[in-house]
Amino acid sequence: MEAVRKLTRIAFTFVMMNYAAVVGLVALRKGREVWK
Amino acid sequence: MESVFWWSIVVIVYVYAGYPLLLAAWARLTARTVPKADIGTARDWPALSILVAARNEAARLPARIANLLDLTYPGRREIIVISDGSTDDTVAAVSSFLSTTRASSRVRVIEIPAGGKPLALNAGAAAADGEILVFADARQQFAPDALVQLIANFDDPRVGGVTGELLLDCESAPSGNESSVADGVGVYWRYEKWLRRQESAVWSTLGATGAIYALRRSLWKPLPPDTLLDDVLAPMRAVLAGYRIVFEERALAFDRVSPNGAAESRRKTRTLAGNYQILAQEPRLLVPVLNPVWLQYVSHKFGRLLVPWALVGLFISTVVLAETSWVFASALAAQLGFYGLALAGAVMDARERHHSSGRAELPVALGKGMS
Repeated sequence: MEAVRKLTRIAFTFVMMNYAAVVGLVALRKGREVWK
Repeated sequence: MESVFWWSIVVIVYVYAGYPLLLAAWARLTARTVPKADIGTARDWPALSILVAARNEAARLPARIANLLDLTYPGRREIIVISDGSTDDTVAAVSSFLSTTRASSRVRVIEIPAGGKPLALNAGAAAADGEILVFADARQQFAPDALVQLIANFDDPRVGGVTGELLLDCESAPSGNESSVADGVGVYWRYEKWLRRQESAVWSTLGATGAIYALRRSLWKPLPPDTLLDDVLAPMRAVLAGYRIVFEERALAFDRVSPNGAAESRRKTRTLAGNYQILAQEPRLLVPVLNPVWLQYVSHKFGRLLVPWALVGLFISTVVLAETSWVFASALAAQLGFYGLALAGAVMDARERHHSSGRAELPVALGKGMS
Protein backbone atom coordinates (compact mmCIF):
# COMPACT_ATOMS: atom_id res chain seq x y z
CA MET A 1 0.00 0.00 0.00
CA GLU A 2 2.84 2.33 0.90
CA ALA A 3 4.45 1.65 -2.50
CA VAL A 4 1.23 2.61 -4.32
CA ARG A 5 0.91 5.73 -2.22
CA LYS A 6 4.50 6.65 -3.04
CA LEU A 7 3.97 6.01 -6.75
CA THR A 8 0.81 8.12 -6.65
CA ARG A 9 2.68 11.03 -5.11
CA ILE A 10 5.53 10.77 -7.60
CA ALA A 11 3.09 10.68 -10.55
CA PHE A 12 1.28 13.72 -9.15
CA THR A 13 4.52 15.65 -8.73
CA PHE A 14 5.71 14.75 -12.25
CA VAL A 15 2.46 15.88 -13.88
CA MET A 16 2.31 19.01 -11.74
CA MET A 17 5.88 19.96 -12.71
CA ASN A 18 5.14 19.60 -16.40
CA TYR A 19 1.85 21.45 -16.06
CA ALA A 20 3.82 24.24 -14.36
CA ALA A 21 5.96 24.65 -17.49
CA VAL A 22 2.87 25.42 -19.54
CA VAL A 23 1.41 27.72 -16.89
CA GLY A 24 4.80 29.44 -16.60
CA LEU A 25 4.92 30.17 -20.31
CA VAL A 26 1.38 31.53 -20.31
CA ALA A 27 2.11 33.66 -17.25
CA LEU A 28 5.25 35.03 -18.83
CA ARG A 29 3.49 35.88 -22.08
CA LYS A 30 0.71 37.64 -20.21
CA GLY A 31 3.24 39.48 -18.08
CA ARG A 32 1.78 38.08 -14.88
CA GLU A 33 3.84 38.24 -11.74
CA VAL A 34 5.35 34.87 -11.01
CA TRP A 35 8.07 35.94 -8.63
CA LYS A 36 7.26 38.68 -6.18
CA MET B 1 -0.09 11.58 -36.51
CA GLU B 2 2.27 8.63 -36.17
CA SER B 3 5.23 11.00 -36.49
CA VAL B 4 3.83 13.08 -33.61
CA PHE B 5 3.68 9.90 -31.52
CA TRP B 6 7.23 8.83 -32.28
CA TRP B 7 8.75 12.30 -31.96
CA SER B 8 7.04 12.73 -28.60
CA ILE B 9 8.51 9.42 -27.44
CA VAL B 10 11.97 10.44 -28.67
CA VAL B 11 11.86 13.78 -26.80
CA ILE B 12 10.64 12.29 -23.50
CA VAL B 13 13.00 9.32 -23.54
CA TYR B 14 16.01 11.42 -24.59
CA VAL B 15 15.46 14.10 -21.94
CA TYR B 16 14.89 11.72 -19.03
CA ALA B 17 17.01 8.71 -20.01
CA GLY B 18 19.10 9.22 -23.14
CA TYR B 19 20.77 12.44 -22.01
CA PRO B 20 21.60 11.15 -18.51
CA LEU B 21 23.18 8.03 -20.03
CA LEU B 22 25.15 10.12 -22.51
CA LEU B 23 26.24 12.43 -19.72
CA ALA B 24 27.31 9.57 -17.45
CA ALA B 25 29.50 8.13 -20.23
CA TRP B 26 30.87 11.59 -21.08
CA ALA B 27 31.73 12.33 -17.44
CA ARG B 28 33.42 8.95 -17.08
CA LEU B 29 35.56 9.51 -20.16
CA THR B 30 36.49 13.17 -19.78
CA ALA B 31 36.00 14.17 -16.15
CA ARG B 32 37.85 17.39 -15.39
CA THR B 33 38.77 17.60 -11.74
CA VAL B 34 39.15 20.91 -9.94
CA PRO B 35 42.52 21.46 -8.20
CA LYS B 36 41.08 22.61 -4.88
CA ALA B 37 42.95 24.40 -2.14
CA ASP B 38 43.99 22.24 0.79
CA ILE B 39 41.56 23.31 3.47
CA GLY B 40 43.83 22.29 6.33
CA THR B 41 46.81 24.37 5.18
CA ALA B 42 47.43 27.97 6.25
CA ARG B 43 47.03 30.28 3.25
CA ASP B 44 45.44 33.50 2.15
CA TRP B 45 41.75 32.93 1.70
CA PRO B 46 39.89 35.43 -0.49
CA ALA B 47 37.64 38.00 1.16
CA LEU B 48 33.96 37.15 0.95
CA SER B 49 30.82 39.22 0.71
CA ILE B 50 27.81 37.15 1.69
CA LEU B 51 24.59 38.59 0.25
CA VAL B 52 21.23 37.86 1.85
CA ALA B 53 18.28 39.45 0.04
CA ALA B 54 15.27 39.50 2.34
CA ARG B 55 11.77 40.84 2.50
CA ASN B 56 9.85 40.64 5.76
CA GLU B 57 12.22 38.13 7.34
CA ALA B 58 12.41 39.57 10.85
CA ALA B 59 11.68 36.18 12.38
CA ARG B 60 14.38 34.27 10.51
CA LEU B 61 17.26 36.70 10.04
CA PRO B 62 18.82 36.72 13.53
CA ALA B 63 19.31 32.93 13.42
CA ARG B 64 20.47 33.13 9.84
CA ILE B 65 23.09 35.79 10.54
CA ALA B 66 24.28 33.85 13.59
CA ASN B 67 24.68 30.80 11.34
CA LEU B 68 26.69 32.77 8.77
CA LEU B 69 28.92 34.31 11.45
CA ASP B 70 29.59 30.92 13.04
CA LEU B 71 30.79 29.25 9.84
CA THR B 72 34.40 28.19 9.69
CA TYR B 73 36.29 30.48 7.35
CA PRO B 74 39.86 31.69 7.92
CA GLY B 75 39.61 34.68 5.57
CA ARG B 76 37.75 37.97 5.90
CA ARG B 77 34.00 37.94 5.46
CA GLU B 78 31.25 40.52 5.45
CA ILE B 79 27.54 39.85 5.51
CA ILE B 80 25.30 42.22 3.61
CA VAL B 81 21.59 41.96 4.32
CA ILE B 82 19.50 43.76 1.73
CA SER B 83 16.01 44.53 2.95
CA ASP B 84 13.85 44.69 -0.16
CA GLY B 85 11.04 46.99 0.93
CA SER B 86 10.33 45.09 4.13
CA THR B 87 7.23 46.24 5.96
CA ASP B 88 7.85 44.24 9.11
CA ASP B 89 10.65 44.67 11.67
CA THR B 90 13.36 43.13 9.49
CA VAL B 91 15.87 45.94 9.94
CA ALA B 92 15.09 46.40 13.63
CA ALA B 93 15.42 42.66 14.24
CA VAL B 94 18.83 42.58 12.62
CA SER B 95 19.98 45.68 14.50
CA SER B 96 18.75 44.23 17.75
CA PHE B 97 20.60 40.98 17.11
CA LEU B 98 23.79 42.80 16.15
CA SER B 99 23.74 44.75 19.41
CA THR B 100 24.19 41.42 21.20
CA THR B 101 27.17 40.20 19.19
CA ARG B 102 30.78 41.32 18.98
CA ALA B 103 30.83 40.53 15.26
CA SER B 104 28.47 43.35 14.36
CA SER B 105 31.15 45.17 12.34
CA ARG B 106 31.05 42.29 9.85
CA VAL B 107 27.35 42.78 9.08
CA ARG B 108 25.79 45.57 7.07
CA VAL B 109 22.13 46.22 6.35
CA ILE B 110 21.01 48.01 3.21
CA GLU B 111 17.42 49.13 2.80
CA ILE B 112 15.97 49.58 -0.67
CA PRO B 113 12.43 50.20 -1.91
CA ALA B 114 10.53 47.01 -2.86
CA GLY B 115 11.75 46.02 -6.29
CA GLY B 116 12.29 42.28 -6.18
CA LYS B 117 15.24 40.04 -5.52
CA PRO B 118 17.29 40.97 -8.63
CA LEU B 119 17.43 44.63 -7.60
CA ALA B 120 18.24 43.63 -4.04
CA LEU B 121 21.15 41.51 -5.24
CA ASN B 122 22.31 44.31 -7.52
CA ALA B 123 22.38 46.66 -4.55
CA GLY B 124 24.24 44.12 -2.43
CA ALA B 125 26.81 43.37 -5.11
CA ALA B 126 27.39 47.08 -5.69
CA ALA B 127 28.11 47.56 -2.00
CA ALA B 128 30.30 44.45 -1.69
CA ASP B 129 34.07 44.61 -1.53
CA GLY B 130 34.90 40.91 -1.24
CA GLU B 131 36.64 39.12 -4.05
CA ILE B 132 33.98 36.42 -3.98
CA LEU B 133 30.24 36.94 -3.67
CA VAL B 134 28.37 34.25 -1.72
CA PHE B 135 24.61 34.07 -2.18
CA ALA B 136 22.35 32.86 0.60
CA ASP B 137 18.67 33.05 1.47
CA ALA B 138 17.14 33.91 4.82
CA ARG B 139 15.53 30.53 5.38
CA GLN B 140 18.20 27.86 4.99
CA GLN B 141 21.14 27.03 7.24
CA PHE B 142 24.67 26.19 6.07
CA ALA B 143 26.81 23.35 7.40
CA PRO B 144 29.75 24.62 9.52
CA ASP B 145 32.36 24.02 6.78
CA ALA B 146 30.19 25.10 3.83
CA LEU B 147 32.18 28.26 3.08
CA VAL B 148 35.63 26.67 3.02
CA GLN B 149 34.32 23.81 0.90
CA LEU B 150 32.83 26.29 -1.59
CA ILE B 151 35.75 28.69 -1.72
CA ALA B 152 38.52 26.08 -1.98
CA ASN B 153 37.41 25.53 -5.60
CA PHE B 154 38.39 29.09 -6.57
CA ASP B 155 42.07 28.09 -6.48
CA ASP B 156 41.42 26.99 -10.05
CA PRO B 157 41.36 30.18 -12.16
CA ARG B 158 38.99 28.54 -14.63
CA VAL B 159 36.34 28.27 -11.93
CA GLY B 160 34.04 31.29 -12.06
CA GLY B 161 31.50 30.01 -9.59
CA VAL B 162 30.67 27.17 -7.25
CA THR B 163 27.28 25.83 -6.31
CA GLY B 164 26.77 23.92 -3.09
CA GLU B 165 24.40 21.09 -2.38
CA LEU B 166 20.96 21.83 -0.98
CA LEU B 167 19.71 18.94 1.15
CA LEU B 168 15.97 18.75 1.57
CA ASP B 169 14.41 17.09 4.60
CA CYS B 170 12.43 14.77 2.30
CA GLU B 171 15.63 13.26 0.89
CA SER B 172 16.56 11.60 4.14
CA ALA B 173 13.11 10.49 5.31
CA PRO B 174 10.46 10.98 2.61
CA SER B 175 8.02 8.50 4.11
CA GLY B 176 7.87 10.40 7.36
CA ASN B 177 7.37 13.73 5.66
CA GLU B 178 3.90 15.24 5.88
CA SER B 179 4.23 17.10 2.56
CA SER B 180 2.29 15.43 -0.26
CA VAL B 181 5.08 16.25 -2.70
CA ALA B 182 7.91 14.92 -0.52
CA ASP B 183 8.27 11.63 -2.43
CA GLY B 184 8.12 13.24 -5.87
CA VAL B 185 10.35 16.18 -5.09
CA GLY B 186 12.79 13.93 -3.25
CA VAL B 187 13.18 11.68 -6.30
CA TYR B 188 13.36 14.64 -8.67
CA TRP B 189 15.91 16.56 -6.60
CA ARG B 190 18.23 13.55 -6.20
CA TYR B 191 18.03 12.97 -9.96
CA GLU B 192 18.62 16.66 -10.68
CA LYS B 193 21.68 16.80 -8.39
CA TRP B 194 23.08 13.68 -10.03
CA LEU B 195 22.80 15.43 -13.41
CA ARG B 196 24.55 18.50 -12.02
CA ARG B 197 27.35 16.38 -10.62
CA GLN B 198 27.95 14.85 -14.06
CA GLU B 199 27.67 18.21 -15.85
CA SER B 200 30.14 19.70 -13.41
CA ALA B 201 32.58 16.86 -14.08
CA VAL B 202 32.29 17.33 -17.85
CA TRP B 203 32.81 21.11 -17.63
CA SER B 204 30.14 23.17 -15.91
CA THR B 205 26.73 23.04 -14.31
CA LEU B 206 23.98 25.02 -16.05
CA GLY B 207 23.24 27.30 -13.15
CA ALA B 208 23.47 27.22 -9.39
CA THR B 209 21.37 26.54 -6.33
CA GLY B 210 20.12 29.93 -5.16
CA ALA B 211 20.32 28.87 -1.54
CA ILE B 212 24.08 28.33 -1.65
CA TYR B 213 26.45 29.46 -4.34
CA ALA B 214 29.47 31.68 -4.86
CA LEU B 215 30.66 33.72 -7.82
CA ARG B 216 33.77 35.79 -8.51
CA ARG B 217 32.74 39.42 -8.04
CA SER B 218 34.59 40.33 -11.25
CA LEU B 219 32.06 38.19 -13.16
CA TRP B 220 28.97 39.79 -11.66
CA LYS B 221 26.86 41.94 -13.95
CA PRO B 222 23.75 43.73 -12.69
CA LEU B 223 20.63 41.69 -13.27
CA PRO B 224 17.62 42.98 -15.22
CA PRO B 225 14.94 43.94 -12.67
CA ASP B 226 12.43 41.37 -13.90
CA THR B 227 14.85 38.42 -13.75
CA LEU B 228 13.16 35.27 -12.46
CA LEU B 229 16.21 33.03 -12.12
CA ASP B 230 19.10 35.08 -10.82
CA ASP B 231 20.87 31.86 -9.88
CA VAL B 232 20.83 30.66 -13.48
CA LEU B 233 21.41 33.93 -15.30
CA ALA B 234 24.42 35.10 -13.26
CA PRO B 235 26.26 31.74 -13.39
CA MET B 236 25.45 31.18 -17.08
CA ARG B 237 26.91 34.57 -17.93
CA ALA B 238 30.14 33.35 -16.34
CA VAL B 239 29.95 30.13 -18.37
CA LEU B 240 29.39 32.13 -21.57
CA ALA B 241 32.51 34.11 -20.64
CA GLY B 242 34.52 30.86 -20.61
CA TYR B 243 34.46 29.95 -16.90
CA ARG B 244 33.23 26.84 -15.15
CA ILE B 245 30.55 26.63 -12.52
CA VAL B 246 31.30 23.56 -10.44
CA PHE B 247 29.13 21.54 -8.09
CA GLU B 248 30.62 21.10 -4.62
CA GLU B 249 28.71 18.39 -2.86
CA ARG B 250 30.58 18.93 0.41
CA ALA B 251 29.23 22.47 0.77
CA LEU B 252 25.86 21.81 2.33
CA ALA B 253 22.77 23.89 2.97
CA PHE B 254 19.63 22.51 4.57
CA ASP B 255 15.99 23.21 3.80
CA ARG B 256 12.47 21.82 3.94
CA VAL B 257 10.45 20.69 0.96
CA SER B 258 7.35 22.69 -0.08
CA PRO B 259 4.46 21.81 2.24
CA ASN B 260 2.01 20.78 -0.49
CA GLY B 261 1.36 20.55 -4.21
CA ALA B 262 0.04 24.08 -4.53
CA ALA B 263 3.18 25.63 -3.06
CA GLU B 264 5.43 23.39 -5.13
CA SER B 265 3.43 24.19 -8.26
CA ARG B 266 3.87 27.94 -7.69
CA ARG B 267 7.58 27.46 -7.16
CA LYS B 268 7.91 25.30 -10.23
CA THR B 269 5.84 27.67 -12.38
CA ARG B 270 8.22 30.46 -11.52
CA THR B 271 11.26 28.31 -12.25
CA LEU B 272 10.01 27.14 -15.62
CA ALA B 273 8.81 30.61 -16.60
CA GLY B 274 12.35 31.67 -15.76
CA ASN B 275 13.75 29.03 -18.08
CA TYR B 276 11.73 30.53 -20.91
CA GLN B 277 12.69 34.06 -19.89
CA ILE B 278 16.40 33.32 -19.83
CA LEU B 279 16.32 32.34 -23.49
CA ALA B 280 15.20 35.90 -24.27
CA GLN B 281 17.73 37.38 -21.84
CA GLU B 282 20.66 35.33 -23.17
CA PRO B 283 19.88 34.03 -26.68
CA ARG B 284 23.56 33.03 -26.93
CA LEU B 285 22.63 29.97 -24.87
CA LEU B 286 21.05 28.43 -27.98
CA VAL B 287 24.02 29.14 -30.28
CA PRO B 288 26.47 26.18 -30.30
CA VAL B 289 29.61 28.21 -31.04
CA LEU B 290 28.87 30.74 -28.31
CA ASN B 291 27.79 28.41 -25.52
CA PRO B 292 30.49 26.01 -24.26
CA VAL B 293 27.79 23.82 -22.71
CA TRP B 294 25.32 24.05 -25.57
CA LEU B 295 24.53 20.33 -25.83
CA GLN B 296 24.00 20.07 -22.07
CA TYR B 297 21.84 23.19 -22.06
CA VAL B 298 19.63 22.08 -24.93
CA SER B 299 19.32 18.54 -23.55
CA HIS B 300 18.68 19.49 -19.94
CA LYS B 301 17.10 22.93 -19.63
CA PHE B 302 15.53 23.35 -23.06
CA GLY B 303 14.49 19.69 -23.07
CA ARG B 304 12.50 20.20 -19.86
CA LEU B 305 10.54 22.91 -21.64
CA LEU B 306 9.79 20.57 -24.55
CA VAL B 307 8.65 17.58 -22.48
CA PRO B 308 5.22 18.99 -21.47
CA TRP B 309 4.39 19.59 -25.13
CA ALA B 310 5.66 16.12 -26.00
CA LEU B 311 3.38 14.67 -23.30
CA VAL B 312 0.42 16.47 -24.86
CA GLY B 313 1.44 15.30 -28.34
CA LEU B 314 1.84 11.74 -27.08
CA PHE B 315 -1.58 11.70 -25.48
CA ILE B 316 -3.43 13.21 -28.45
CA SER B 317 -1.67 10.98 -30.96
CA THR B 318 -2.42 7.79 -28.99
CA VAL B 319 -6.09 8.76 -28.60
CA VAL B 320 -6.33 9.23 -32.38
CA LEU B 321 -4.31 6.10 -33.24
CA ALA B 322 -5.46 3.71 -30.49
CA GLU B 323 -7.78 1.72 -32.74
CA THR B 324 -5.18 1.21 -35.44
CA SER B 325 -2.61 -0.85 -33.52
CA TRP B 326 -2.03 -2.52 -30.17
CA VAL B 327 1.13 -0.41 -29.81
CA PHE B 328 -0.84 2.83 -29.64
CA ALA B 329 -3.62 1.22 -27.59
CA SER B 330 -1.05 0.04 -25.02
CA ALA B 331 0.59 3.46 -24.93
CA LEU B 332 -2.81 5.04 -24.31
CA ALA B 333 -3.61 2.57 -21.55
CA ALA B 334 -0.25 3.22 -19.89
CA GLN B 335 -0.83 6.96 -19.99
CA LEU B 336 -4.36 6.67 -18.62
CA GLY B 337 -3.01 4.55 -15.78
CA PHE B 338 -0.27 7.06 -15.03
CA TYR B 339 -2.57 10.08 -15.16
CA GLY B 340 -5.06 8.19 -13.01
CA LEU B 341 -2.35 7.80 -10.38
CA ALA B 342 -1.49 11.49 -10.68
CA LEU B 343 -5.15 12.40 -10.23
CA ALA B 344 -5.31 10.24 -7.12
CA GLY B 345 -2.20 12.07 -5.92
CA ALA B 346 -3.90 15.42 -6.55
CA VAL B 347 -6.94 14.32 -4.54
CA MET B 348 -4.67 13.17 -1.68
CA ASP B 349 -2.85 16.49 -1.80
CA ALA B 350 -6.12 18.46 -1.67
CA ARG B 351 -7.37 16.34 1.25
CA GLU B 352 -4.15 16.69 3.17
CA ARG B 353 -4.13 20.42 2.61
CA HIS B 354 -7.70 20.59 3.85
CA HIS B 355 -6.87 18.62 6.96
CA SER B 356 -3.53 20.29 7.43
CA SER B 357 -2.83 21.33 10.96
CA GLY B 358 -1.68 24.66 9.64
CA ARG B 359 1.91 24.06 8.79
CA ALA B 360 3.15 27.39 7.47
CA GLU B 361 3.75 27.54 3.75
CA LEU B 362 7.30 28.26 2.81
CA PRO B 363 8.05 31.10 0.47
CA VAL B 364 9.56 30.32 -2.90
CA ALA B 365 13.30 29.95 -2.55
CA LEU B 366 15.00 26.66 -3.01
CA GLY B 367 13.93 26.17 -6.56
CA LYS B 368 15.91 29.07 -7.80
CA GLY B 369 18.54 26.43 -8.29
CA MET B 370 16.25 23.53 -8.91
CA SER B 371 15.29 24.92 -12.23
